Amino acid sequence: MSKQSQTEESLEDINRSLYKEGMTDGLPVIPPTEERVDEMLLGTDRDRDEVIGELGNNENALTVERLAANAVMAGCIPPYMPILEAGAEALADPDSNSIQFSVSTASWSYQWVVNGPVREKLDIASESGAFGPSYHANQTIPRALGIAYRNTAKIYPGEKDMGVMGNPYKFYFLAGENEEASPWDPYHVSQGLDEDDSAISLAGPNSWVQWFPGENNAEHVARGMIRNTPESMRARSGEDLNATITHFINPYNAEELEKADLSKQEIKEYMVENSHRTLDEYSRSFGGDSDLPPRQSKQYFDTEAINIVSMGGPGRVNAIAGTSIGGPVTKKIDFPNNWDDLVEEYVVETEWVPTEGFYE
Amino acid sequence: MAGATRAAIGRRLSIPGKSYMVRWYVVSVVSLVTPGSEEEETEKEPLRERVDDLDGKTIGLYDNGKPAAEPLLTAVQEKLSERYPNATFDWFHVEHLNQIKNDDKQEEVKEWAQTVDTALGAIGDCGSCTKFLAWGVELIEEGGTPGVGLIDEGFELDYQSNAIERGRALRYKKTPVRCETTDLDRVREEVSEEVVDGIVDELTRPLNDKERAGAEKVAQ
Repeated sequence: MSKQSQTEESLEDINRSLYKEGMTDGLPVIPPTEERVDEMLLGTDRDRDEVIGELGNNENALTVERLAANAVMAGCIPPYMPILEAGAEALADPDSNSIQFSVSTASWSYQWVVNGPVREKLDIASESGAFGPSYHANQTIPRALGIAYRNTAKIYPGEKDMGVMGNPYKFYFLAGENEEASPWDPYHVSQGLDEDDSAISLAGPNSWVQWFPGENNAEHVARGMIRNTPESMRARSGEDLNATITHFINPYNAEELEKADLSKQEIKEYMVENSHRTLDEYSRSFGGDSDLPPRQSKQYFDTEAINIVSMGGPGRVNAIAGTSIGGPVTKKIDFPNNWDDLVEEYVVETEWVPTEGFYE
Repeated sequence: MAGATRAAIGRRLSIPGKSYMVRWYVVSVVSLVTPGSEEEETEKEPLRERVDDLDGKTIGLYDNGKPAAEPLLTAVQEKLSERYPNATFDWFHVEHLNQIKNDDKQEEVKEWAQTVDTALGAIGDCGSCTKFLAWGVELIEEGGTPGVGLIDEGFELDYQSNAIERGRALRYKKTPVRCETTDLDRVREEVSEEVVDGIVDELTRPLNDKERAGAEKVAQ
């Protein structure tokens, strides 16, 4: 005989029904009750019926209320609403190309990078393990945006989402830039925002590679950024298809690049200059313009197609995410008047490692 | 109670006068806010009447910009030319797949469609190109011309789903030509006489009552 309480039974049944309707990502969700959605809406000054953006074939409307419902399901808390709203605006921006990369056979993911003071306020990880599990905001915010997109655009695997392999990063790929350890301007500043602004940026890569240089010096790092880029990735900006690659550089290696007086722009120019690859079948899709192609082509065709973001904790490992066929799109985050109070009330300070007293 | 909850939760009720306030009701225990977009109804449009015969007709060949589209349409053109020597062919090339998202390109397709008697579109062999092929064939139909999409057989549900979402049960023909097959000789072999029979059938078979019916509402 079941020992579940009424509430527990309802939770299970609601999850079954939401899953049956295709409203989840397959993981358990928090039921989006009216009470919980109302509570989530404390995180916004916008009207609940305001349309944030339109998504999918028929430009289905994503309202503030429905975004909040998806946020509840994903496990978000009210102070996340401003970042979710900005993320939803990025998804709806035609420049994000979400209408294509959400359904394409190459199983593109939604890559989110957060900048500015909001990172510290919401405890968005940008150091060790930032893209991994463990961090509440890093996990629940992209999950909410992912299922909000699916539930609004109404796309399902094997139906409109024709990703052949699927992608484990698809709805869970978010971290803050490690601005504090970066020798360069933060990513959102390079996109025209002020350093004091908070922002979220969206791209749509389908692959992720980690690598490290043989030596901790600028030459090995810069060369490694090229040599470790998989053959299948190509970076070339363009109006019809903006194919970009993002390099996530750890603080140690970023420091070495700074010691060599290399700006982000100079690193990009070096990559374009030195990234020749023999042509293969991808030349056709990424800019080959002759029936008789030359023997080599640039893997990094132009500097605008390269993004460099400071990321991660101590160590020599870097990462490459690409090729993105979505964005990058950067949106400024606006906050409601009561936001600091919400942060105070809802954001949990972690106490995972009780270091106090270790060496007393 | 649990059973009742499960049975009731799937129902979606529109509150009169506030169609945007679509909510889910679970008996009296919990009420949920739907996380999905509003269930709007799309006006279902009838298909354009087929031509009765391809002889002497101008057949449009719509290349949606995928690499395999041109060789497939080329092979089909060759086979149709043998069967219908009096038929003429007129191509429309979308230079890059994504250009079909642009309003001006969509208008170009509709205008071109008005210059041909019937049209074939290719190719649906990936997620986004199948979507954009359905968009293209829909534009051909919007332009007043009967259209048929040629798809990789693995993308049938994708094509159907996108077509329905655009408001028309667009016709299509599955072919054995798989994703990114651009070797024209191989494509010529794969476009068998049987495949051509099927293409001709989709282009010329009279509409059934369901295809001819308009104004039917289709839930997205």
